[in-house]
Amino acid sequence: MQHALHISNLEFTYRSWKEEECDSLFSNLSLKLGEGSKTLLLAPFNKGKTTLAKIICGVCPKYFPGNLRGTISLFGRDLSTLEPWDLLTSCSYVSQNPQEQFVATSVEEELAFGLESLGLSRSEMKERIDAALGHWGLESLRTSSQQELSGGERKRVLLAVQEVLQARLWILDEAFDDLDQTWRDQLRKTIQESDNTILVLASRYLQEFSDLFDQVVLLDQKRIHTPAFDALLPRFSRLCGDDLPSPLDGQVLDSCKKHTLSCIDLQAQRKRLSTLQGQMFSLSVPNFHLDSGELVTLVGPNGSGKSSFSRLLCGLDDPISGAVCIDGQPFTSKELSKKVGYLFQNPDLQIFLPTVEEELSWSLKRRKDLKPEEMRSRVSECADLFGLKLGDTPTTMSYPLRKALQAAVYFLLDRPFYVLDELDSSLTYNSALSIIARLRQKGAGLLLITHDRQFARGIAQRGYGIGDGRMASL
Amino acid sequence: MTTSTFVAGNGWLYRFDPRAKILLMLLLCVWFFLPVHLVGLYVAVALIILTTACNTGFSHAWKTFRSILPMLLFMVLFMPFNVRDGQALVQFGSFTVVTKEGLLQAGRLAGRFIGISYVCTLLFATTIMNEVMLALRWYRLPYKAGLVVTLAFTYIPFIADSFSQIAESHRLREAEAEQGRRLLQRLKDLVPTLTSALVVALRSIPNLAMSLEMRGFGLSNRRSQYHNLASYRHPFTHFLLSAIIPVVLWLLCKA
Repeated sequence: MQHALHISNLEFTYRSWKEEECDSLFSNLSLKLGEGSKTLLLAPFNKGKTTLAKIICGVCPKYFPGNLRGTISLFGRDLSTLEPWDLLTSCSYVSQNPQEQFVATSVEEELAFGLESLGLSRSEMKERIDAALGHWGLESLRTSSQQELSGGERKRVLLAVQEVLQARLWILDEAFDDLDQTWRDQLRKTIQESDNTILVLASRYLQEFSDLFDQVVLLDQKRIHTPAFDALLPRFSRLCGDDLPSPLDGQVLDSCKKHTLSCIDLQAQRKRLSTLQGQMFSLSVPNFHLDSGELVTLVGPNGSGKSSFSRLLCGLDDPISGAVCIDGQPFTSKELSKKVGYLFQNPDLQIFLPTVEEELSWSLKRRKDLKPEEMRSRVSECADLFGLKLGDTPTTMSYPLRKALQAAVYFLLDRPFYVLDELDSSLTYNSALSIIARLRQKGAGLLLITHDRQFARGIAQRGYGIGDGRMASL
Repeated sequence: MTTSTFVAGNGWLYRFDPRAKILLMLLLCVWFFLPVHLVGLYVAVALIILTTACNTGFSHAWKTFRSILPMLLFMVLFMPFNVRDGQALVQFGSFTVVTKEGLLQAGRLAGRFIGISYVCTLLFATTIMNEVMLALRWYRLPYKAGLVVTLAFTYIPFIADSFSQIAESHRLREAEAEQGRRLLQRLKDLVPTLTSALVVALRSIPNLAMSLEMRGFGLSNRRSQYHNLASYRHPFTHFLLSAIIPVVLWLLCKA
C-alpha cells in the first residue's frame, strides 16, 4: 500500500539568530500514514508538533532556519525535490495560530487565493467557495477582513480554505482550539466523513477525539511512540503534568479586602467596516458581578461578544450605556484599566521587551513608592514562582512560558480582578490551572473565558453564557 | 498579517472603475506638485476631504486626518526654520528665525501632504484590494509586482494595528500607584511600543512568505481570476472624468 506520508529517521535542529545550533527537536523520528488514514499525534508543548507540520509542508527549514536530516515522502514523492507550492493539492495545513496564515484582505479572497493559483475556472471557484462558506457558517462574513473576525472565526476560515483546496493530506494543528462546541462537532463530523488522510496535532486529549482516529501516536523524547491506547493516555497525562492534583484544590487564599466588580444594563455596539449588509453587532449585559477570590467562567459561541465584553470590563472600550462599577461605584475607562487586568488570548501582544527581567520590571520601575532593591526582589520572586529565567528572551521562549510571563507581568501589578481570555487554549490543563491558582492567590476575582465546557464545569464556582449578543447567568 | 483598508459604502466613488480611479489618483498626485495658488491648493484639498467624507463617512475622514497628524505637525513645525530667505517675521538680533517664505512653504508642503494622503486613502478605502490588483494588471503590471504593491498597502495598516494593540497593552500595564505621565515619559514609552511593533512586523515576514507559497504562489501555471472588473459600467466615461478633473483643477488654480 502506498503511504500518504512516510517519514524516516528525521532529525531537526533549529539555528538560533546567532547562527548557533540549538538542541535537536527530533532524533530518528519515523512515522507512516496510510492513504485515507486518520491519525492523532499527541505531544506536550514545545516538543516540535508545529515544526513537524511545517517540515511536512516544505516550509521548514526554508523559512525557519535549521538543519534537517532524514527522508520524507508524500504520496511517493520525495519532499526534498519539491517546493511548497508543488504541494498545493497534496498537503494543506491549518496553523495553531490562524492569524499567521492570512494573506488576503477578505474571507472570500482568502478562499479564492489558492484556487486562483490552481488556475480553476471562475464557476468552479465560486461553487467550491460557496459550499465551504456554507459548511463553516461564514456566508455573512464573506467580505469581512481578518481583523474583524474572532479567533474561532479565523480558524473556521482556514478550515474552509483547506476544504476548497481539496488536498489529499490535511494537517490540523490544534484545530479544535478556539472553536466553540458547534464547530468542534462540525470539525469532528468533517474528519469522520472525509476520505482524505488526516493528521491532527494536539497537546490536550479532548473529548471530541474519542473514536475519531485510526491511530493515536505520541511524540516524546524526540521520536514517535505508538503504545497501546490504554497505556498512551496515562503516559501522555503524566508528560503534561495533568495527573498531578489541581493547584486549585484546597487552595487557601491570602486574606485581602473584598471588592465586587459589577455592571448593570451595559450596552455596547460595534460596526463592521467591510460591509453595509447585516446589523451592527450589539452586546447587552443585563447583570454581571464578580467578587474577590471568585473564579467565574464565561462561555459562548465564536464571535458572540466575549472579547468585546472583556474590553469593556478593563476599560479599553466605552459602553454606549450603563457602567462598569467596583463596589457599586461607576469607574471611568482609565480607572478600570488600573483595576482589571486583561490577559489577551495572544500573549505576544502583551510582551515586548528584550528580557524577562525588563518585562517584569517595566511597570514596577514607574512606581515612585518602590525602592530599586524591593523591585528587584519582587521581580526575582515572581520569576521563580512562574518558572521563568530573568535573562531569557521572551520572543524565543516556548508558548507556555510566554503565557506564564504574560501572567507574571499581571501578577506583579496585583490587580483586584483579572479577565483571562481563553487562557486554556493551547496550554495543558496543568499549566492553565497553575496560572489561575497564582493569580487568584492574593484574592483576586477571575473571569475565565473558555470554549472547553468540561474544563469550565470542573473549576468554576459560577458561570455566565453569552449568545446572540446577550449575556446571562448559567 | 494583512489588514483591509476597504470601508464599505455606496457613494459614487464605489461605482467608479478602479482602472480610472488609479489614473485619477496618479494625476492628482502629480497635480499637487504643479505651480498652483496656495488658496487653490487648499480648495482642492478641501474638495478631496469632502469627497472622502461623502463616500466613506465623516468618521473615516477624521480618522485619516488623525493618522497623518503627527507627521503633519512634525513637518509644519520644523519647515519654517529651514528657510532663511525672504521677509523676516521673527528675528533675534541679526538671527532670522521665521520668514514669510518659510511659512508659505510649510503651508504648501502641508497642503500637498494632506491632499496626497487623502487621494491614496480614497483609492484603497473605496476599492477592494483584489480589484486594485486587477486594475494594476490591466495596466500590464506583472502579477508579482502587483501583489507586492497590494501587500505593501495592507501590511502598513497591519503594523499600525499591531502598534495600537501594543499601546493598549501598555495602558493595561500601568501600575495603580503610578502618577500621571509627563510628555517626556510618554515619548520615552513610545520606544518599546515602536520596537515591539517592528518585531511583530519582522516576525510575520517568514509567516507571510510561507503562507503565500503554501497557497500556490510560485506555481508556473497561469493564475485564474475569481473577480473581474466587468461589473463596472461606462469605463470610458470614468477615464474621461479622471483626465478632466485634474485639468479643470489646474486651469482654475494655476499660479
